[in-house]
Amino acid sequence: MATDADGGIAIQETRLTRLIEALSYASIEDYDSCLNLLRNLGTADEFAELETAFTIFIEELAEAKRQLRDALAETEVANRELAAKLATIEMQQAAIRDLSTPIIEVWAGVLCLPVVGIVDSQRSAEMTETLLETIIAKQARTAIVDITGIDVMDTKTADHFIKMAKAVRLLGADCIISGINPGIAQTLTHIGVDLTGIRTLRSLRDALQVHLRETEQLHPGRRAEGES
Amino acid sequence: MTAERVFAVGGWSDVAITRHQARRMAREHGVEPRRAGEVAIVVSELASNIVKYGVRGEIALHVAAGSGGGLALTVVASDVGPPIHDVAVAMLDGHDDRGPIDPALLAQRGGLGTGLGAVARLADGLEVRQESGGKQIIATFFRGLPGAA
Repeated sequence: MATDADGGIAIQETRLTRLIEALSYASIEDYDSCLNLLRNLGTADEFAELETAFTIFIEELAEAKRQLRDALAETEVANRELAAKLATIEMQQAAIRDLSTPIIEVWAGVLCLPVVGIVDSQRSAEMTETLLETIIAKQARTAIVDITGIDVMDTKTADHFIKMAKAVRLLGADCIISGINPGIAQTLTHIGVDLTGIRTLRSLRDALQVHLRETEQLHPGRRAEGES
Repeated sequence: MTAERVFAVGGWSDVAITRHQARRMAREHGVEPRRAGEVAIVVSELASNIVKYGVRGEIALHVAAGSGGGLALTVVASDVGPPIHDVAVAMLDGHDDRGPIDPALLAQRGGLGTGLGAVARLADGLEVRQESGGKQIIATFFRGLPGAA
């Protein structure tokens, strides 16, 4: 490298070409090829300082880009995990709703709705809707609502249960309520609901036996299972 | 014997979780099963209302010694939803906060319109606080709790 009279500098063209080539590698983010060109140049002059500064700049850029890529990859993994968790929660919510009104067709035309847990007005309304729809869909003739698992209900909810049984009768099916415990029995008599036409039995077992016996009487010699 | 638990309520699964936890918490403090069931029904009704009307909110359960020497259980339902238009009307069975619910619309509506009424019947005290930007419904229980006179 030399300095001319005007203060301009002259350098070997190969050094300039090399720098331009390195820059073009950097522009397409091929930092390895770029840095390979710049390392161990072995000349110590002012232009070499520029080359060194350029090298440091490229090294830092390469490092920053690498960290950004890693961070993006991590975010993407986290996003995928979050999406998977949300999907699971949605499925669980659907499962919980299904479980709150599990209607089982125990025999052809005989539906059983076992009610467990806590029944509030919301659940009570959902159960009625689901039971009535299922009676039509399955062409059921008998619906057994077993409330063995329920030890307490609000009076209005209990009243609504009796209304549900009456609605079942309006659809042309029988409704048997089984497993009423002493507390619920007191609630029902306390509010003075009209229990005419509502059949109640001690347990689900009794309800099924009664149904079987009646089917036997209606169709002697035919077993309930073979009805469909 | 002081305890507090807070449950965020944003969806129906939160309602199910909160009512189960409420019953468990009452049972852990020696409340007999039927009364614990009533606490759970109240929590469930209030949580359902948060999902239906409250946009988002939470249920806080406190258990502490009451003024009468027995245990007192408090359910605080807070939400950021619109105020209850008419609390007295909303308390009536088969009503929402603006008047009677058409029975023909019950099925689409989800719920019977008896939730707040049930809360009033089952709890020993009920207070509704409405402020701009949200409301709080506070139900208290002391009757039938351990140590009650």
